[in-house]
Amino acid sequence: MIQSIRFDRFLPAALVSALLVAAAPEAVAQKLVIEAGRIVQDASTEITDGIIVVEGGRIVAIGRQGEVEKPWDAPVVGGPEFVAFPGFVEAHSNRGMDRPNENIDVAPFLDVRDSIDPINLYFEDCRRWGMTTVNIQQGNNCVVGAQGRIVRPVGLTIEEMTVRPGYGLKLSAAAKSGKSAATQAQALRTAFEDLRRYLEGIVQDAKDGGDKARREAMFQGRDLTGEKATGRAMGGNTWKVEGLELIPRGAIDEKQAPLLDLVEGRGTAFIWCGSPRDVHLALEIARTHGFLDRTTLVLDPSCWKAADVVAESGVAVVLEAPLVHIERDPLTGEETETFVPGVFAQKGVRFALSSQNSSSNSLWFQAARAIGLGLDRKTAIDAVTRVPAEILGLGDQVGTLAVGRLANVLLLSGDPLANDAWVQHAIIEGEMVYDRAKDVRNKYLIDGIEPMGVEGALDASRAGAR
Amino acid sequence: MLPLFLLALLGAPTLGANVPAVSTQSGPVVVRAGQIHTVDGGRIVNDGYMLIEGGLIRFVGANQPIPPHAHVVDYGPDAVIVPGFVAAGSALAEGAPSARTAEPSLKALDGFDFYADQTDALAGGVTSAYITPARGRLIAGQAAVVKLAEPSPGGRVLRAPAAIHAAISAEARRTPGYWEPPVPATSDVGLGVPLEQLPRSLMGAVLAINELLDGVAANRPVEAYGPFAVRDLAPLVDAKTPWRVTAFAEEEVRALIAVAVARRLPLIVDGAHHAGELGEALAAAKAGVVYEMPFIPGRAGRDRGVDAEEPEPRLDVPARLRAAGVPVAFSVPSAVPLRDLRLAAILGSRGGLSSADALRGLTLTPAEFYGVADKVGSLAQGKHADFAVFSGDPLDAASSLRATWVGGELAFEPPAGRGTATVIRAEELHLGDGEVMRPGEVLVQDGRIVEVGERVGRPLGSVVVSAPAAMPGIIDLSSRLGLEGGRRTPATDFRLGQIVAPGDRAARAVARAGVTTVVLDPPGNTNTGVPMMAYRPAAESFEGMVVADPVGLRFAWTDGNRARSGVAVREALAKAVEYQKRWVEYREKLAAWKPTPTPPEVVLPEPPKEEAAKPEAAADEKKEDAPKEEEKKPARRKGKDEPKPVDPDPVTGIWTAKVERPPLEEATALRMQLQLADGAVMGFLRAEALAEGLVEVRGHFTDGKLTLTGIGSEGLLHITGAIEEAKLTGEITLGATLIALVAERTTRDYPVAKRSQPAAPEPAAEEPKDKPKEPRADPRLEPLRLALEGKAAVFVEVTRADEIEACVDAFAAVGIKPILVGADDAHLIVDRLYGRVAGVVLSHEVIESRPEDGVLRRNRYADLQRAGIRVGFHSGAADGARDLPLMVAYAIAQGMSPVSALRAMTSDAADMLILSDRIGRLAPGLFGDVVLLDGSPLDPRSQVLRVVVGGKEVK
Repeated sequence: MIQSIRFDRFLPAALVSALLVAAAPEAVAQKLVIEAGRIVQDASTEITDGIIVVEGGRIVAIGRQGEVEKPWDAPVVGGPEFVAFPGFVEAHSNRGMDRPNENIDVAPFLDVRDSIDPINLYFEDCRRWGMTTVNIQQGNNCVVGAQGRIVRPVGLTIEEMTVRPGYGLKLSAAAKSGKSAATQAQALRTAFEDLRRYLEGIVQDAKDGGDKARREAMFQGRDLTGEKATGRAMGGNTWKVEGLELIPRGAIDEKQAPLLDLVEGRGTAFIWCGSPRDVHLALEIARTHGFLDRTTLVLDPSCWKAADVVAESGVAVVLEAPLVHIERDPLTGEETETFVPGVFAQKGVRFALSSQNSSSNSLWFQAARAIGLGLDRKTAIDAVTRVPAEILGLGDQVGTLAVGRLANVLLLSGDPLANDAWVQHAIIEGEMVYDRAKDVRNKYLIDGIEPMGVEGALDASRAGAR
Repeated sequence: MLPLFLLALLGAPTLGANVPAVSTQSGPVVVRAGQIHTVDGGRIVNDGYMLIEGGLIRFVGANQPIPPHAHVVDYGPDAVIVPGFVAAGSALAEGAPSARTAEPSLKALDGFDFYADQTDALAGGVTSAYITPARGRLIAGQAAVVKLAEPSPGGRVLRAPAAIHAAISAEARRTPGYWEPPVPATSDVGLGVPLEQLPRSLMGAVLAINELLDGVAANRPVEAYGPFAVRDLAPLVDAKTPWRVTAFAEEEVRALIAVAVARRLPLIVDGAHHAGELGEALAAAKAGVVYEMPFIPGRAGRDRGVDAEEPEPRLDVPARLRAAGVPVAFSVPSAVPLRDLRLAAILGSRGGLSSADALRGLTLTPAEFYGVADKVGSLAQGKHADFAVFSGDPLDAASSLRATWVGGELAFEPPAGRGTATVIRAEELHLGDGEVMRPGEVLVQDGRIVEVGERVGRPLGSVVVSAPAAMPGIIDLSSRLGLEGGRRTPATDFRLGQIVAPGDRAARAVARAGVTTVVLDPPGNTNTGVPMMAYRPAAESFEGMVVADPVGLRFAWTDGNRARSGVAVREALAKAVEYQKRWVEYREKLAAWKPTPTPPEVVLPEPPKEEAAKPEAAADEKKEDAPKEEEKKPARRKGKDEPKPVDPDPVTGIWTAKVERPPLEEATALRMQLQLADGAVMGFLRAEALAEGLVEVRGHFTDGKLTLTGIGSEGLLHITGAIEEAKLTGEITLGATLIALVAERTTRDYPVAKRSQPAAPEPAAEEPKDKPKEPRADPRLEPLRLALEGKAAVFVEVTRADEIEACVDAFAAVGIKPILVGADDAHLIVDRLYGRVAGVVLSHEVIESRPEDGVLRRNRYADLQRAGIRVGFHSGAADGARDLPLMVAYAIAQGMSPVSALRAMTSDAADMLILSDRIGRLAPGLFGDVVLLDGSPLDPRSQVLRVVVGGKEVK
């Protein structure tokens, strides 16, 4: 595995926004008009019989038929039978990678870009189920894991898919396999202690007139020009190493840099909590090292017990499936069921639902079930659109349909949370990426129509299997 | 001024000071028990109480009045309260150890799940525990002491760090080599090899501790133990944190003492199975010992082999150490759940440890070891209100836990309902049939007696109730209790179970007097017999109430016209004999009947060609017809199912509602049970707001409209309403008042409170034609048929000697032994009655005086009983049934044998009613109805202290 590690550095904010507005890879249609009998802009705003005008991948106009001018040269999709809905946003997923976990405990230098597999069926599922923005993070089995990446489920290269690279560092407060809760906590704390000791070491070396860090970086052939050639005093609002300005930023060990970003207030963190007690550790680490305001907790259902602590900390959370936590009384054998999103909603915690579920890959299903279990419709819809978009720092880009937002639009055959409604078309940044009429896998499964060019091949393989 | 003010502060108040951060209890709570072991200076409070406020103990003692506003929880005079146990060792936070041999930075608190359910430990009275992050290392980490229940997770920490968790025993000498893979490993940077980690021997372990302490003293890292071991250890050593070191063998303990003395370590030895000889050395080193129970319950015995070197674990180690002045606390092996901690101390007492020391080793001693004695471990003012309540001496293995409290709140109570057990202990236990056990105990579980003996088992959570004497519940052979003043004579087939309901106040009052079973005997007479029911007025459920319904019928032999005396009874008996005969014949036929084998229903799709060729055409036709019929049948059935099913009976069942009657502020409950038959509706209604007692209602149901009428305590009562899908919407008219009613049907059953009798099997849909037909059941004759079979009782009112004789003869002719009621002249013909009657229920006149006949003072009860004829007592009243014990006392005072009187009100009465398999004695399988008295039941001066029905005290 070690050979495959590619050191990816943090990209300055300017570059990130440049990537965001990057034109669609195939410049098929600069303009697009989407018509729908009902447009659900967000959980509380709807337009009947409306149109969405898209230009350059963004929504430029949205309103009722007749009130919004349709460009004469734009192709039109949709029609009165469709319901338009913002693309679902997945705030945290471990899928779409060749393997989700690494075996090194503390590995912030890793990047999921080296593991994402663009032709993974997961991304096809995402299009089919209308998930247009996905945050890929390392699996939960880690202490400090890799840097994540926000992608759109379309494209043949990782660059084409990328919405925002190097987004979010994965940490785990739950014991990694082979560790106990105590050794996990120790390892998490030690990771930051090591960072501090390392920084103090190179600063001391520089003060002593040494040049170890820079020479090491040059030896590794790293970029030491421009901004990276200069040093900067340590930022952040918790602990500081005095004299860090003596060290050119490019000379700081890439193994430590992502953690330093967290402490300095630049990076964001996703911390996995497998049980309520892990929530305490996760919040302690985030507080001690000054990144609580940029932390999202990824919670196991049992963590509803720590909902008060979460609410008090003000962090947003991603709720992993299942939605109902079942507990058995050790003496009476009675089972108690707790509807997890309900608890968090009651405590006023912002939460996103996650599609990761053994029985389904879709967010609409999770949201619909949450409503069935007692959540109100607005909160449920927000939990799969607006809130995850905000968690990913894309609140002004995706998750809702409004002028200036990216044109991530689903055209559904009915209400977005209805059991019998399908995604007919998925449009990402103005580009049609999914058409149910052309979904060969779906056709084969539902109608038994074999894809072109494989006549008899499937039967033959089945016969072989028999 | 100032000094005075200060003095006042110091003197009054520790009451107000010290209010804990985690205060949840709103008001003060008083907990009472027969004994409170405070452990604080060995003080034992008898018949005292403990006052708790804000999670802390405010007062323990007996000599102050209980604050009037306090909420009192009384566990009874037999319960014993002890401080919550402090487990001196536990595996609650244990996980995989760290890679290093000495890792003082590993924290137990990180490994402890504050949200975890600790019921298992609380069920053993353990309220606090020492936790360690790992074991199996020279220094495994920092241990802590936590509470096992507390509303806020943060409030559970008592002390952290509480000790350095270390070991020099074999488990610490197996640390694998330390290896950290380089990232990235390249051709320049090799993968490296694991570094050997010490220790590998006892010597090495001692050396390692010395090296680390030297490092701390010199403030420099010791390379062999990693860069931070010394840095992390130093603050712990500086804070004089105790070293809790695991050592089992004698030489290990000896080596440890040597290190501790040399380096002046505060030492607690853990394990210490073989430290019996080292008491003095340990005492000199001021070391404490955590004695680990050398036994794992719930497993096969442990073979230790024939190796002479292997020392025997000895149970006397705690006692010997204690004798030498070494404080000893207890722990269990990590494979044993904490609920068995008490067993460790019990085994310690078995080895000779005094009870006080054993209890201290579970409570205050471990608390002192880990520096939490100011909060837990004893019951004294200002300490946490953490305690356990046992049914008796906690060091008696037979005592069981009744409750565990943490922070002044109930944290555990054995689950009620399932397996609730009550042990009734009496110095004098009268079993009801004359036998007496001194002392004796009765174990009642799930409402039934399961064990009777000198000493019975005590299942988890069992309540022990003791009294100077106990006897079976008293049986009232004729009572009006439950009729609620009704004067009607019910029909023979009426089931009285329909009219009684549990929870009646008068019924409880009767039961509190000791009368646990009454025979409900409606007034009046009919020719076909008046039904009677035996029921338990204080039972908590319908199912538990009815003992037998009907228990029998009552007839009147004597008629106003003497010529007609006995005529009706004879007729009834004749009919019953006839009726029973049909049943006997049916049974005989059924026994003789053998079902003719039915032809297999195999339908062949086509007759084989060979057969078709045969000449019998008729046979062929039949064969062709058969399959056609088979095809038609299922089709027809399907057609029937198609129309939407209409509820055939939308009325029958129990209906409940909340009724709001304007002057009353709160809505009160209304409960109706209705039965629909051919459009007519009958049933009963109970609603506090409308009537005081049960109201019988009648009415009809047509086109979805229900109309009911009944007479409530305030006059006529009408209910009208519409029923739609198990919901009744309408109104109640009570005089001039209109009350809205919305009732819901909670069940479709019409609950007749009776024992589920095995109903006659319904004839299956397709009975073979030749099978003997069951005779038509006649509910009016059914009770007599049971009596003929010896399964039910018959009461007969009869007065004069000649009539008694005729009556007994008539019954003897059909094989029934009747119970004579009244029977004024029975004493005249006792020789003719002996063996031919089930018993006699005399009138209330115990003493007969007929000077004209030469009879001066005669005890009628005693006379009959002396002649070998059973007598029984009856109240003949409703709530007046509570006077029954006084009637018995009077009979005794007038010369009746007390032993016989006891039998008359218990076992004899049950035998008469043919209910000796359910009531009347204290024997396994019978209802757990027991009366506790302050003296012998044979002494009329004794009074009833408590009454237990179905294992539960009647209050």
